Amino acid sequence: MTWSLPALVSAASVYETQAEFLSRAFNDSPPEPNILWLSGQRKPVVRQLLGHDYPALRLRYWCQAARSAWILDEIGKELPITVGIIIENSYIKNLRVMTYRENRGGEVATPAFTDQFINAELEESNKLDVRIDGISGATLSVQSLTRLATMALFLHSETNCQNG
Amino acid sequence: MRRLHRSFGAFAVIFVLFMVLSGLAINHSNGLGLDQHKVSQPFMLGWYGLGKPSSIRSYAVGDDWLSFAGSQLYLNDKTVATIPGGVGAVSNGDLFIAAGGDELFLLDHGGNLVERLPWAPISAAPIEAIGLHSNNIVSVKTAGQVWLADADLLNWQRAEEPVAIQFWSSPKPAPDELQQRIMHVYRGEGPSLERVLLDLHSGRIFGPIGVFIYDLLALALGFLSISGLILWFRGRRNGKGKNRK
Repeated sequence: MTWSLPALVSAASVYETQAEFLSRAFNDSPPEPNILWLSGQRKPVVRQLLGHDYPALRLRYWCQAARSAWILDEIGKELPITVGIIIENSYIKNLRVMTYRENRGGEVATPAFTDQFINAELEESNKLDVRIDGISGATLSVQSLTRLATMALFLHSETNCQNG
Repeated sequence: MRRLHRSFGAFAVIFVLFMVLSGLAINHSNGLGLDQHKVSQPFMLGWYGLGKPSSIRSYAVGDDWLSFAGSQLYLNDKTVATIPGGVGAVSNGDLFIAAGGDELFLLDHGGNLVERLPWAPISAAPIEAIGLHSNNIVSVKTAGQVWLADADLLNWQRAEEPVAIQFWSSPKPAPDELQQRIMHVYRGEGPSLERVLLDLHSGRIFGPIGVFIYDLLALALGFLSISGLILWFRGRRNGKGKNRK
């Protein structure tokens, strides 16, 4: 006879696929992806922004003119949240939760919450220049999205996209 | 009553002795080192649900091995990723590439994740095989189609015409010692002896039925206490009656 630990049963909510996100970000004609390595000086900065290392050594991003698009993952409470972030001229143009996997806290995927990130930029202290209001019961997810927004702005500044 | 008391007593004696001994051992588990001692016998690991993987499929990548065991991917005996339904692995020289049905994992030679590449944005058809074309170009086979990556594995092109892929990754028998090490990592060290004793003490080691049986035995002990008291009072009363006579 055997028994097992209670399984984490969670149905992922997919709000937007990668193709839909890129199509939206670049008016139906997304560019080829580029690579940004999270090595050298970037690694400690990303660690500082996230509070841990990003779980990959390289990231792909899409860049056209001064606009870049990023698809990033960060753990909410127990499972990763996939977020698509569009940045233009060092400002967040749009942030959208693409896949939410946690059982609770899905309110962070609503535009009512994510619209707070629009036009946010990075201060010299590597913090957002806007205050993001939390959602009761979704504190960890709110923090995860805030960290990813900050990271995306930093990563954008590390690319040639910022020069247009 | 006396016969019932005797029957319940005989039934409960082994249980009581076991509870006393296991309770004493649990009370002193730190001193006895029971919390440090791991129970790793295959039978006990199986009993606790720490079974063997259904198979270990290993792929030679240069001098190293990438192996799928259950949903885990191992570089030699180091766990590097979770990939349910692994279908193969190759090395293009710079990177190791492991394929699951719906994603690719790019790893450096130390087993660090370079990038996780979901396959769905490239093709709706699941990955059936991964291989190498000429010049170490990574290739993926889906239902009736072959896809070729660029050198950085950033872009994938569907081969318009049939291409002769140099080789498709196929599992090879890894050295026995490596398979044993993977098995050990997969199953873990096993529960501590203290945990096993606690589960024996509570009956949980036998699952819900064990707990139910232990409940019955506890009730039997309760009955023994009460019936013992009743018999004692009766004996006392009878003894007084005899004395009066």
